Amino acid sequence: MTDFPGLLQALQREHVSFIVIGGAAATAHGSPRLTLDLDVVYDRHPENVEPLVSALRPFKPTLRDAPEGLPFVWDERTIRSGLNFTLSTSLGALDLLGEVAGGGRYEDLVKETETIRVFGVDCLCVNLEALIRLKRAAGRRKDLEAIAELEVIREERDKTELR
Amino acid sequence: MRLLPELPKADFDRYIEEMKKDVDRTLIRENLKLTVEERLVALMALQEFAEELRRAGRAAFGP
Repeated sequence: MTDFPGLLQALQREHVSFIVIGGAAATAHGSPRLTLDLDVVYDRHPENVEPLVSALRPFKPTLRDAPEGLPFVWDERTIRSGLNFTLSTSLGALDLLGEVAGGGRYEDLVKETETIRVFGVDCLCVNLEALIRLKRAAGRRKDLEAIAELEVIREERDKTELR
Repeated sequence: MRLLPELPKADFDRYIEEMKKDVDRTLIRENLKLTVEERLVALMALQEFAEELRRAGRAAFGP
C-alpha cells in the first residue's frame, strides 16, 4: 500500500516544491480508479534538489524494475544527471518527474494547479483541465478509460455548479 | 507505450466519447460528495483490499 500521508509529509517537512499529478491527482478530483503510486512533478532548481534528496533519503529510494544489483546512489548528482525517476521507497512507489508530456516542467505546470490540504499538508495538485491534457498527451492505451472518467467528472462538476 | 501515434485527434476523441458511456456516474457522484482527504483514504483502503485479494489468490491458486 502506498503511504500517501507519509510521502506528502516527508516532502513537506523539507519544503520540497512539487505538484501531484497522475492517478493520485485523479483521485483528488473524484476518480474512483485504483492507483498504486504517487506521481509528482518536482522543481529541478538546485535549491529544490537538495531538500528532495534529504526528504526521501530515510525511505531508501531505489529504481523500480532496475536489474538486481544495479548500483543506484540517491544523491543530488543522480537527480541532476537524470530527469524522471520511477522509485520504490519504504513508503511505497513514487514517480518523480522532472518533465511531463503535455505539461512541461514544474515552472510551466505550476500555473495550472490548485492547493489541496490533505493529511495536514498543503500541496499543489494539478487542476482537472490540465490533468486531462496530460493524460491525453501521454497517449497511453491504459489512460483512455481514465480520460473518459475525468471528462465525466468535469461534466458532473459542471452540473453541480449550475444547480 | 504510446497509443496509435498517427491516430487523428477526431478518432481519439471518438473513442473517449464512446468510453464515457460506460463510466459509472453513480460512483463519480458519490466520490464528489467526499473531501479530497476522504477520497485518498478510500484509495488507500482500496489498495489494501486489492493487496489482500492478491495474497488470498496466491494462497489459493499459487503464485
